[in-house]
Amino acid sequence: MKLTEDKIREFSIQAISELGANASPDAVKKLVEEKIRSSNDFPEGEMNLSSGRVILTSFGLNTTGIVSSISAALSEAQCDILDISQKIMQEFFTMIMMIDITNSPKDIKDMQEIMKSIGEKLKVKIYLQHEDVFRFMHRI
Amino acid sequence: MPYEFDEILETIKMTEIEHFDIRTVTMGISLRDCADRNIDITTQKIYEKILRYAGNHVKNAQEIERRYGISIANKRVSVTPISIIGDAFGQDEFIKIAETLDKAATEIGIDYIAGYSALVQKGFTKGELELIKSIPNALSQTQKVCASVNVASTKAGINMDAVNLMSNIIKEVAEKTKDRDSVGCAKLVIFCNAVEDNPFVAGAFHGISEPEVTLNVGISGPGVVLEAIKSAGGINFQALSELIKKTMFKITRAGELIGRKVAEKNNIPFGIVDISLAPTPAEGDSIADILIAMGIEDVGAPGTTAALAMLNDAVKKAGLMASSSVGGMSGAFIPVSEDAGMIRAVEKGHLSLEKLEAMTAVCSVGLDMVAVPGSTSAETLAGIMADEFAIGMINDKTTAVRIIPAVGKSVGDYVDYGGLLGRAPIMPVRELSSKAFVLRGGKIPAPIRSLTN
Repeated sequence: MKLTEDKIREFSIQAISELGANASPDAVKKLVEEKIRSSNDFPEGEMNLSSGRVILTSFGLNTTGIVSSISAALSEAQCDILDISQKIMQEFFTMIMMIDITNSPKDIKDMQEIMKSIGEKLKVKIYLQHEDVFRFMHRI
Repeated sequence: MPYEFDEILETIKMTEIEHFDIRTVTMGISLRDCADRNIDITTQKIYEKILRYAGNHVKNAQEIERRYGISIANKRVSVTPISIIGDAFGQDEFIKIAETLDKAATEIGIDYIAGYSALVQKGFTKGELELIKSIPNALSQTQKVCASVNVASTKAGINMDAVNLMSNIIKEVAEKTKDRDSVGCAKLVIFCNAVEDNPFVAGAFHGISEPEVTLNVGISGPGVVLEAIKSAGGINFQALSELIKKTMFKITRAGELIGRKVAEKNNIPFGIVDISLAPTPAEGDSIADILIAMGIEDVGAPGTTAALAMLNDAVKKAGLMASSSVGGMSGAFIPVSEDAGMIRAVEKGHLSLEKLEAMTAVCSVGLDMVAVPGSTSAETLAGIMADEFAIGMINDKTTAVRIIPAVGKSVGDYVDYGGLLGRAPIMPVRELSSKAFVLRGGKIPAPIRSLTN
């Protein structure tokens, strides 16, 4: 679970009011940490794996420059390519990339927009999906 | 790469080609603290509370849709049964509450709001009776409000007075919305053993044992199961069951992920995944087509009930393994108007009301979205309901009736609502009378099965 600043503020205010006169910086810190832990109903192991990793899948008729266009856009958006796998099946181009967008100023929505316009230009389909969906479906 | 090429392509194929989507994310909101003796204060509290919790429900769900590339067909809200909030009110006040719910639903942009409900399996309170009487006006004057009434349970038996009352209410709703193919009836469900955490409308409500607010998710995906069965060929039953389980496991996992993420985004606790296999009117997204792929010629052929029973069981087993919080209806749905294959079977005369009833004994949820001639009498409707609820009561399962006695229509005609509600051919109903039976009044006592202690 991504912790928002508002949420931390809310927990801190709660902690201060609960501790009352006993509110020392250490006590507040301890209580806020406890609250964050207990508010998180997501199983811990799964939560830790959640990341900024995104799977990019691209298909279409093979033309020149698909990989270079996509990777140029990724580098411009400061996305890190972690893995890449590409095949030509009959005349179809298929590519799967695992990218990390943690350090990118863009979020997944922006990246989907960028890839959509590239896809239209090259006449290929490009999908961007958060890694979690693959992990949930294919890993126990 | 931590995932195989084929695994990634399988997921993309499911979401892009085989209609895999999340049928609904339904936020359940308790309105119990909104009760006040003044109706204006009550409606104001209800409106504010729904906006407070669900104000960003649609926006948040859309963001999750994009992030995971899985579409969510419906965003809904369910509330505490309104008869509990307004037990001191009369019909006029209840209609004001219905209008408030409609207004709130429109404001936050959801598809439906459900919970205009009463639980009367053992008898009526004054408020419950008033709410039920207000249903025809409430449903005809609002767009997004859905009503449900639980009239029977394994523990309490069948309240036949309530069944008779509801058969008249259904007729009245049909009459009041006759200019729109009696669409009001598509928003009214009569239940036996209603569940408290059901995310599917029209029968959803936020049960009294539910927390303040929760998010439940209903999955879909008949298209995915259909493709898997088709490509497997003539394998035996155990292998077929394995195949369905493997497919449903993946779908349920994705459903749970989406539900948890939408809940997280709304900052509310996650409730349950309803592992029902829900069809849509889109071609290829049909339960009927799965049964045909399993080997029957068409729905209604001998073997249909067995095929459905096996499908339903495999769906449940896979879902249970995939999610730690399974709830709701959790079975295959066989609504007639919302399933292209079911519509086709009725058109060809292959599927009768009686066979459909038999099928409901082995899956969720009951006679759902069934259109019958407008001339069908209230007593016959009561007889149909009594049969359906007897199945639910004796087998300790949820059964429901959402039947549309379409005013001015007869066999050969259609009702057509578009969208997810779809279109349904009018099904013939037996002309034999059940009047002297249903009008005896009182209750059918609870079965021996209720004495489990």
